[in-house]
Amino acid sequence: MTAAAALIIRGLTKTYPTPDGELRILEGVNLELPRGSAIAIIGPSGAGKSTLLYMLGALDTPTQGTITLLGEDPQGMNPHAMNPTEQAAFRNWHVGFVFQDHHLLPQCSVLENVLIPTLAGAGVTAEMETRARHLLDRVGLSSRLDHLPAKLSGGERQRVAVCRALIHQPALLLADEPTGNLDRASAEAVGTLLLELQREQNTILICVTHSLELANRFPRKFELRDGHLNEV
Amino acid sequence: MFRRQNRGGGPDLWWLLSNHTIGWGPCPNSFRVVILISTLTRNGLIFRSLLFAWRTNLAIVLGVAVSAAVIGGALIVGDSVRASLRQMTLDRLGNVDGIVTGPRFFRQELAAKSDAAPAIVMVAGVQRKTDTVTRRAGQVNVYGIEAAGWAMLLGQREQLPQGPAVVINQSLADALNAAVGQEITIWIELPSAVPRDTLLGKRDNDSQEVTVTVGNILPDGPGAARFGLNPTQQLPMNAFVALDTLQDALNLAEIKPTRRDPVGAVARINSLLMGDKEATQQPQAIAEQRTERIKSQSTLADLNLRIVHDTSLNVLVVESEQMILETRFADAAKAAAEKLGVPSSPVMVYLANWVRHPTDPNAYSMYSTVAGLDVLALQTPFGPFEFVGGEPAQLAEGEVIINEFLAEDLKAKVGDSIRYGYHIVGSQGELPEEERSTVVRGIVRMTGPAVDKNLTPHVKGVTDVDSLSDWDQPFPMKLDEVTPRDDEYWDSYRATPKMFFRLQDAQAMWRSRYGSLTSVRIAIPEGQTFESTRDEVAKFILDHINPADVGLAVQPVKAIGLQAANGATDFTGLFIGFSFFLILAAMILVGLLFRLAIEQRVRQLGLLGAIGWSPQQIRRHMLSEGAVLVAIGSVLGGMAAVLYAQGMIYGLTTWWIGAIGTKFLRVDVQPLAVMSGVLAAAVTSFGSIAWGLRQLRTISLRERLVGVTEVDVTHATTSKAGRRAAISGGFAAMLILASGLGLMPAQEAFSGFSWAVVSFFIAGILFLASGLWAFSAWLQIGKQSGVRGHGLAGIVRLGGRNAARRKQRSVLTTGLIASATFVVAAVAAGHKNPAREAPDKASGNGGFTLVAESSSPILYDLNTAEGRSKVNLEARTPEQAAALAAMKVFPFRVKPGEDASCLNLFQTRAPTILGVPEAMIERGGFKFVGGGSEMWKKLHGGNLFTAGTSADDKEVPVLGDMNTLMFNLKKGVGSKLAYPAEDATFQSWLTVQGMFDGAVFQGVLLMSEENFLKLFPERKGFQYFLVEVPPEHATAAAEMLETELAEYGFDTEPVAERLARFLAVQNTYLSTFQSLGGLGLLLGTFGLATVMLRNVLERQPELALLRAVGYRSGQIAGLILSETALLLCWGLITGTVAALLSMGPHLVSTGADVPWISGAGLLIAIAVTGLLSAAYAVRTALAVPIVSTLRGE
Repeated sequence: MTAAAALIIRGLTKTYPTPDGELRILEGVNLELPRGSAIAIIGPSGAGKSTLLYMLGALDTPTQGTITLLGEDPQGMNPHAMNPTEQAAFRNWHVGFVFQDHHLLPQCSVLENVLIPTLAGAGVTAEMETRARHLLDRVGLSSRLDHLPAKLSGGERQRVAVCRALIHQPALLLADEPTGNLDRASAEAVGTLLLELQREQNTILICVTHSLELANRFPRKFELRDGHLNEV
Repeated sequence: MFRRQNRGGGPDLWWLLSNHTIGWGPCPNSFRVVILISTLTRNGLIFRSLLFAWRTNLAIVLGVAVSAAVIGGALIVGDSVRASLRQMTLDRLGNVDGIVTGPRFFRQELAAKSDAAPAIVMVAGVQRKTDTVTRRAGQVNVYGIEAAGWAMLLGQREQLPQGPAVVINQSLADALNAAVGQEITIWIELPSAVPRDTLLGKRDNDSQEVTVTVGNILPDGPGAARFGLNPTQQLPMNAFVALDTLQDALNLAEIKPTRRDPVGAVARINSLLMGDKEATQQPQAIAEQRTERIKSQSTLADLNLRIVHDTSLNVLVVESEQMILETRFADAAKAAAEKLGVPSSPVMVYLANWVRHPTDPNAYSMYSTVAGLDVLALQTPFGPFEFVGGEPAQLAEGEVIINEFLAEDLKAKVGDSIRYGYHIVGSQGELPEEERSTVVRGIVRMTGPAVDKNLTPHVKGVTDVDSLSDWDQPFPMKLDEVTPRDDEYWDSYRATPKMFFRLQDAQAMWRSRYGSLTSVRIAIPEGQTFESTRDEVAKFILDHINPADVGLAVQPVKAIGLQAANGATDFTGLFIGFSFFLILAAMILVGLLFRLAIEQRVRQLGLLGAIGWSPQQIRRHMLSEGAVLVAIGSVLGGMAAVLYAQGMIYGLTTWWIGAIGTKFLRVDVQPLAVMSGVLAAAVTSFGSIAWGLRQLRTISLRERLVGVTEVDVTHATTSKAGRRAAISGGFAAMLILASGLGLMPAQEAFSGFSWAVVSFFIAGILFLASGLWAFSAWLQIGKQSGVRGHGLAGIVRLGGRNAARRKQRSVLTTGLIASATFVVAAVAAGHKNPAREAPDKASGNGGFTLVAESSSPILYDLNTAEGRSKVNLEARTPEQAAALAAMKVFPFRVKPGEDASCLNLFQTRAPTILGVPEAMIERGGFKFVGGGSEMWKKLHGGNLFTAGTSADDKEVPVLGDMNTLMFNLKKGVGSKLAYPAEDATFQSWLTVQGMFDGAVFQGVLLMSEENFLKLFPERKGFQYFLVEVPPEHATAAAEMLETELAEYGFDTEPVAERLARFLAVQNTYLSTFQSLGGLGLLLGTFGLATVMLRNVLERQPELALLRAVGYRSGQIAGLILSETALLLCWGLITGTVAALLSMGPHLVSTGADVPWISGAGLLIAIAVTGLLSAAYAVRTALAVPIVSTLRGE
């Protein structure tokens, strides 16, 4: 990743057809974030926070507008101009996801769960395994490498999920209610971890949350209301 | 690099799942399984995932295994039946590879010259009498055999029949209840030189009673006990007698020349048995070589021909021992004369009962030989005749030349009209006398060629006796009217003709189906002797006769049997057909379970997509998991296939033995069959899995991440499902309406099925589809309706709403139940009642009570007093008298052939043919597929008698039973079946004009008597009988017929019993089908239970909530059971109605015997079992901990 990497969102709009007419979720959202940014997005339920996040991660498609992630390619990458295979590769290399639910594979150990994204590409290499071990060590799970997810607490599982999201050192780290399922202490620990790792890896972190406590720890906060994204 | 996850203790078994290696080794201390997995790879992840969800995957593996076992098992059953039939053929024929057999008796010497074993093969009736009871067996194969032949049949030397001893097989011993040392009587037809249905033939049954003692009883194992010439798995009834004993009994033994009989007679046989190991390689070529050898060793005596030296004219006379010279021999003789460049003179002689002057009652002559001979054209050495008063210029049609002796008797002169009478041979042995007038055109002197005794062939017992009164009377003669002048003529001229008609006139009056000449006289070329000319003529005739035409061709009977062993019934197809719905159920179950597995892991799949796995990678990963499961399941199924086949073969030889009639089936496992089954199951299962995975495509990654497994229902999808239901239902209704209005073509659709039957079946399937689409649409509509009501109704309504939550899952489950129900209900509806005993003209019994067959043909009409007296049929008791008075017999001519009924598993080439008398065609009766009694009239016609039709275009209309035509011969209405004429001069095409529905005529084809006699002229008399007699007289009638006609081997059987035997086969197959359908239903129930359990597991939080808000356990159970009942009942009702629609044509047939009560009971049992299958789901639901579940712990 280069230091010049940045995220540019232009006129992002999302509507859904319903029997009662078109439902407009996002209305021309614009946003520019430099490399190393960390923002929290808050807003009421159904405002479209998660939808915005999923469109940024190429898991959902916008009705209008563009998303450009500037990286090694000087022209930038617009995931919505890609075919599904290219989108998959985009997610694999440039985006990391942390969901409210950890989504760990129950049949795989902690270390293997972190390495799961590598299987979509060249597979597990010594370099990747070292990196995974380093990440897990960084989040305090070096003693639990061989454990299955069922043996971990909720906070530990979410920490593994954070490591999994960072295994390819993505330019964009997207977190959807990462502390939604956690107790207060675990939530605080995970929030701290996310911000520390974001800083260490100089990635863009966008976190959608209902938790004002978590949001307040971010350098910048945005509120999504009535389809518009405004910094608060 | 391996990592070991050891949970303590020493492992007993090591499973090493490395990149590509699986290994194992013993470990002493415990039974723990330890999993060692290399660094994470895609393959490693596949194995890890499979092991993690092992319960679900095990169910999938079992589903695939069931499929592979059923398909592979069906293939093994097919192979096993074929192999068993092959083995039965080898056991049946022993070392006999080729055989020559037929009605013609030839010299035994031919056997030695052909390196063959001599034998006599005949069919006879056998009885054993005790003081109290007489046991009879008809259609017994009687073999006269010597040591060489016995050895070829794998008979043990010490059991070789000798002297008056007979060796019988266990089947015959059982039929007669006979034991070693007991006497039995064989009634066997005495071979007659002159055909019995010609004027000089012996019409009275010339059966010989041969009393023999049972010397040995052969157990029903391989060898002689099973020996038979026709391919069938049914055990024959066999009796083996020493050849010379049988020859003595049948007057076929050698007679040394004596002074009184200077010619003597050679020993005769009618069969040659040949064994040659090389024949298995090139059977046809070996058979042809052997036939050539037989031909080269044959003499005219083997063709029942002789060449007589007419010393008075110094010509040779070609004549036949059977009096009438077959046309092929006559033609060959004339051709021989042409080749020699000498004239020939064809002659036909007949017997006039009387010739008289029309006005003088005292001017007559009795029993005069008359000849068809073109007298005026005769040249040296055959003529000319000397005429009294000069030779007439010509002989016009209907005019006659008489000899001087007759002219004196009749006081006739040229130009006078005279009358003569002669017998004609009726179709049932009667001899009505025909009377004609003719005009004397010339009178020949009693000199020269006119008094040539050799104009009449030698007939033993007639031409060689001293006076007319010594004749071995072929019919009752009025000897009291024989005059001294007649005796005087016999003394001087014997059978020399007294009257000479034009040859063509004589042939028009007296030709028979055997021929139209009695001899051909051939001049001896100048400078040659009789002997040299005789040899030349004999050689020419022998060279120009096709051995096949005269029954001297070697049939490669073992090769034919082995070919027939491929089987009329394709058991592979049959069992795959039987198991179709079982396979379908397994496939649906595999698809359903795999889909459940996917749904269980849909969040994981969403995650894989989110972290960058491409859709292809995810799909490939899941397909790889599926492939592993399919591979494991297929291999396990391949092994289970052997067990399944063993089970089926066990069933066929025990519970379902009625279907095949033999217990000699053995399992024959061919690797190819197992591999094919494994492959077929793998392909179909993999397809099913791919289909299950395909559903995932409609769910976005985002939806997968939150656990969505089905796309939201929209109004459009509801309309689509409803539209499909309406279209399917509409098509079904249109097909039924079109069939009901008779708009469907009357022709066969395929494999003997009519369009109407096919339409109903398609309508049933469409209804099934329509029902499932309607269910799908209904479930979608149900989602939009609110929860209302209270109590049980409210619970049930909520249960229905729950069914709509996983629509595809619910529809699949319902489809599974409906498919299996379709099979079970359709099969139950297909049963026929074999116990219809009351004679009904429009039913399968045709209004007849008894069916009978005789070993020897009966020539006479059993309905007339005259005919009955000829065969000595008379009532001995008042009951029999009443039966005789009420009885009417319809006789059929029989061309024996192979049994084409469903009782025979072998492939049939030439089935038995019945010649239907005109009286039967007029009477009609029986039930036809798509027609009535008028179908009998279709037997009239064909072009056998149409001039100009080429030999191979001969068409003969036939009728046959539906089962015979469809399942054994694979023919339907309008189909053609090639059938060789008996003399092999041409091949005719039997065209199927109609099909009986469940008639007693199974296994045979029927043609008109007129066509029969044209096709099979050598078949005489009647051997198949249908008896109309009121049921109360049936027993007395049967007893009387069997007793009085014992010498004909007359064997009766109630029509109802015979129908029951046939229908038992059909019903047994249906039972087999039903059993396999039941297995399908079992899978359906398993699927239902799985789905319900899965539903409960998914809904644990809401079930906890319901209980938290006050639902009682009974209400929770009701909620689950009502959902189960909805799926179950919809499937049961849809499947049942669709099945009844499919079987519509059968249900309206008279033979249908739908077990409504037991069928309904079965469906109720299925419903109860289905509900019980949900019990585990209910138990699981009630065990859900409320608090922890609500807290999401």
